[in-house]
Amino acid sequence: MGMITEKLPGYIEPVPGGSVLLTSMDKLINWSRSNSLWPLTFGTSCCAIEIMMASGAARHDLARFGAEVTRPSPRQADLLVVAGTIVKRMAPRLRTLYEQMGEPRYVMATGSCAISGGPFIYNSYSTIRGADEILPVDVYVPGCPPRPEAFFYGILTLQKMIKLGETIRKPGVRKKPVLAALPPGVTLDQIQKEMAALLEKDAVINLDEANRLREEWANIKMAGNEGA
Amino acid sequence: MDTLRLLGAITALEPRAKQKENTDRAAVEVPVDAFYSLMGRLKSDPQLAFDMLYTHTAVDWSAKGEGPGEFELVYQLYSMTHGHYLLVSARIPRDNPVAPTVSPIWKIAEWQEREVYDMFGVLYENHRDLRRLFLEDGWNGFPLRKDYKDEFMLERPE
Amino acid sequence: MSVHVSTLEERIRLQRTDGSPLATQEYFVNMGPQHPSTHGVLRLVLRLDGETVREVIPVLGYIHRGIEKMGERLGYRQFVHLSDRLDYLSALSNNWAISMAVEKAAKIELNDRIQVIRTIVAELQRIQSHQLWWGVFGMDLGAFTPFLYGFRDREIITDIFEETMGSRLTMNYIQPGGLMFDIHPNFVKRTKDFLTYFKPKLVEYETLLSENVIMQERLRGVGKVDAEAAVSLGCTGPVLRASGVAHDLRKLEPYGVYDKVQFDVAIGRTGDCWDRYWVRLEEMRQSMAIIEQLIDNIPEGKHMVMKPAAKIKLPEGSTYTHLETARGILGVYIVSDGSEEPYRIHLRTPNFNNLWMITEAAKNWRLGDLVAVLSSLDIVVPDIDR
Repeated sequence: MGMITEKLPGYIEPVPGGSVLLTSMDKLINWSRSNSLWPLTFGTSCCAIEIMMASGAARHDLARFGAEVTRPSPRQADLLVVAGTIVKRMAPRLRTLYEQMGEPRYVMATGSCAISGGPFIYNSYSTIRGADEILPVDVYVPGCPPRPEAFFYGILTLQKMIKLGETIRKPGVRKKPVLAALPPGVTLDQIQKEMAALLEKDAVINLDEANRLREEWANIKMAGNEGA
Repeated sequence: MDTLRLLGAITALEPRAKQKENTDRAAVEVPVDAFYSLMGRLKSDPQLAFDMLYTHTAVDWSAKGEGPGEFELVYQLYSMTHGHYLLVSARIPRDNPVAPTVSPIWKIAEWQEREVYDMFGVLYENHRDLRRLFLEDGWNGFPLRKDYKDEFMLERPE
Repeated sequence: MSVHVSTLEERIRLQRTDGSPLATQEYFVNMGPQHPSTHGVLRLVLRLDGETVREVIPVLGYIHRGIEKMGERLGYRQFVHLSDRLDYLSALSNNWAISMAVEKAAKIELNDRIQVIRTIVAELQRIQSHQLWWGVFGMDLGAFTPFLYGFRDREIITDIFEETMGSRLTMNYIQPGGLMFDIHPNFVKRTKDFLTYFKPKLVEYETLLSENVIMQERLRGVGKVDAEAAVSLGCTGPVLRASGVAHDLRKLEPYGVYDKVQFDVAIGRTGDCWDRYWVRLEEMRQSMAIIEQLIDNIPEGKHMVMKPAAKIKLPEGSTYTHLETARGILGVYIVSDGSEEPYRIHLRTPNFNNLWMITEAAKNWRLGDLVAVLSSLDIVVPDIDR
């Protein structure tokens, strides 16, 4: 009982005969919603193997996050994980699936094809450049394909967002995350210049410094490593 | 059968077949009106016995040379019993791309021809069910042609 | 006194005043692009008579990305990266097909180390692909445990690949001219540990699924395709070998070092679902035998014979090269005009031909058998649509 009550949102008041939990209904409902997300089995290409299948299998276990119940019917699911490339022919079907899901519903775009079109962005006449051209997306998980651990990070982020009540928002409003998160007064150009300077600095190796550090570390004797 | 004997046998069957240059396996080029009968004999002749059609595709040669250009229909054949390969190609004019279907000979040709129709616009006579395979039925244009224009396509910036 | 036992049909006939038998009607049902057991976005329009399937009409194009058109604007090394994403469960074999085509046309000579490592890695990929197929096959027929077993054992190979190549699924490792990286020092030991681990597991697989009476009833005699129909449909790989045709490119036109190892090729007899199942399990055993013969004797040498940043120009003309992936024969037809980008590149994918077998194999079987047949064909849909 102690572990569960630690994680419940609210305040526990011990009274003679037991305890009383004081919380707000919203917090309790959001907490229970986030801990039992039911994904829709929707995978079009390679990401489906890593995201849907390898995450649900025994090694990376999706059941620990409460999300292993994948329902094939959109009426019974509340999380749409877009895993794989979306093509012009598939886009209306995806939109239909999304609209058939009951509110509150969440969308996670996993893999670079669902974020921006991925490797098929140039010279392709039928790849849609990102699932957010047709759906409002809550969480983006990058990778090609993303590791199951990256997918779990996305699930945890989504759970945090649900607990904070951030996903009940106006329908039809969608923003690309990078532009939405820019602080005021900063442009994309400035960020790109900064990143280029940083990468250049990282790529230039000072050999003398590196050799000096290597000798220094070779002389450190760590406790318990005498025989190594 | 090695390449020389194979080509000899084919030119005996169809005198208008010429050997194609610059290929790695045995290849012949046939004019399109002799095409269908040659394909039937390629399968039924016991010395040749080409019973598997590996692939059928087309090449658009309009970007090379002047004029409206040609499509080259390419068929890669293989014989299970003898183990030899043959590439048969036929050229058809680009502004009237009509060719006979070989689906009565090899069953898979029905769908490979639908794919070539979808991508290039080649019309096959007597095809059982000629419609687009990959793109929607109402798509405008044939994507793998060299002059296919589409505002949706994004060019890579240099 | 005798008791008259009636039947439902008699009962219904008694109710009808015009005496005509019960009329039925055929109807079309859509097994849509989003479906738990279509292995990707494949849409099947079924013409059903009650529960019996009379006709299967596959509708494709839901993952058609236009890879062949993109290939006309990419160099060959860039195209290898795209070839990973065709049949992503045998990604290394796809890379090898493109690399082999480019090397044959540009006449690049490789050393023994590269060929041996390519063979070992391709056979590991074949085992991995069949493990996933086995798991999903069991899941499609209603058993969830094979899925967990298959993935548990698959993760060991994924770890070996990740240590050497950096990626779990789309590796982009076999390049024209050699390999992207040299193998990790742990590669040999971990592969040998995997072989000792997996041999008893295959026995476990047999006890779990193959000897199960439900599997035997559902698979034996279902979805028979005879050799002539299979050849006419151009099927290759385990699907063709299950119909009794002895055609394996690793024996007929050896590439890599397949001519220097001893292995058998599994051939089925009747071409039903059981034969397709059994052929793949046997292929896993033979792949393990191949790896065992090669893993201790990897020759020394460089892992790349060509400078990595070289732009490859193929001579003018056309080439057709093919090899045997886990699902069948992948062929690459390149027409080059002497520049760094192909004029036309066409991929002959194994799943394209294997899919159309469903129109023959599932006729007049029930809906549950359709799922078994579709799953035994082992289809990966992005390979069909490219």
